[in-house]
Amino acid sequence: GSMGSDHRGAVKTVGDLIAYKNVNDLPPPRDLMIQVDQKNEAILLPIYGSMVPFHVATVKSVSSQQDSNRTSYIRIIFNVPGTPFSPHDANSLKFQGSIYLKEVSFRSKDSRHIIEVVQQIKTLRRQVNSRESERAERAT
Amino acid sequence: MTDGHLFSNISLGGRGGTNPGQLKIYSGGILWKKQGGGKAVEVDKSDIVGVTWMKVPRTNQLGVRIKDGLYYKFTGFRDQDVVSLTSFFQNNCGITPEEKQLSVSGRNWGEVDLNGNMLTFLSGSKQAFEVSLADVSQTQLQGKNDVILEFHVDDTTGANEKDSLMEISFHIPNTNTQFVGDENRP
Repeated sequence: GSMGSDHRGAVKTVGDLIAYKNVNDLPPPRDLMIQVDQKNEAILLPIYGSMVPFHVATVKSVSSQQDSNRTSYIRIIFNVPGTPFSPHDANSLKFQGSIYLKEVSFRSKDSRHIIEVVQQIKTLRRQVNSRESERAERAT
Repeated sequence: MTDGHLFSNISLGGRGGTNPGQLKIYSGGILWKKQGGGKAVEVDKSDIVGVTWMKVPRTNQLGVRIKDGLYYKFTGFRDQDVVSLTSFFQNNCGITPEEKQLSVSGRNWGEVDLNGNMLTFLSGSKQAFEVSLADVSQTQLQGKNDVILEFHVDDTTGANEKDSLMEISFHIPNTNTQFVGDENRP
């Protein structure tokens, strides 16, 4: 079928990156708070009592702000097709018809934790993106 | 245990996180009590319309869907509990639990499934996460392709999560045919 020919180029794309292979590979459940798993290049988001992983390569940007009540807000924007320079564009044909998670916002009483998480995500994202673009360059 | 099964460390999951408690599954239905009192969930056997099992990190999760569209998620079952409870549901309620799989690939693309009050985001036919539309305070359409769901801010229901979900948005490309012209679109 047409799906089989997708790997013909043998170029690894962002779409092939996987955070975890098995359910029990996730880090032990801790508090229900946003976590960054450096080793597996994943961020874990507390959604309805579960920790939901996303590979950091799916993240487009992350930002935080604080209001006057000392409540912090964090906003994570994911890559979706159709935006300029989106690394998913090469992939969006492959996953045609998919729906994308585009954005999530959380609030937190712990501003130090939010600032730390934003820094961790940004650093990890930079590392993974430069590694992947180097790999893509070598492959061409 | 002729009159049912008692589990002492089962948490109820939902909007505000998880709460530990005790779960009794007996011939009359299901009774969950929060540890230390307070919230309780009581489901009559005749109100159960569906039961699911899902392997989650290091334990198992029981999903119970009831007549009015509500959906309860209980976490903390050992593998042998799954076996014994599966036959209990079959013999006492005439319900065969369905097996669901959890997606841990970390992808942000997949499908959206609407069932009762629940919106499920699936990746590769496996469940990535679920949210309840009953907790959505507002939906917005942004541009032609984005749907934003805003969640109630609730400080009263014993929320124990440190970071609380406020907003989530989905991008539905033009190539998607599932929700074209569908008025029930979230």
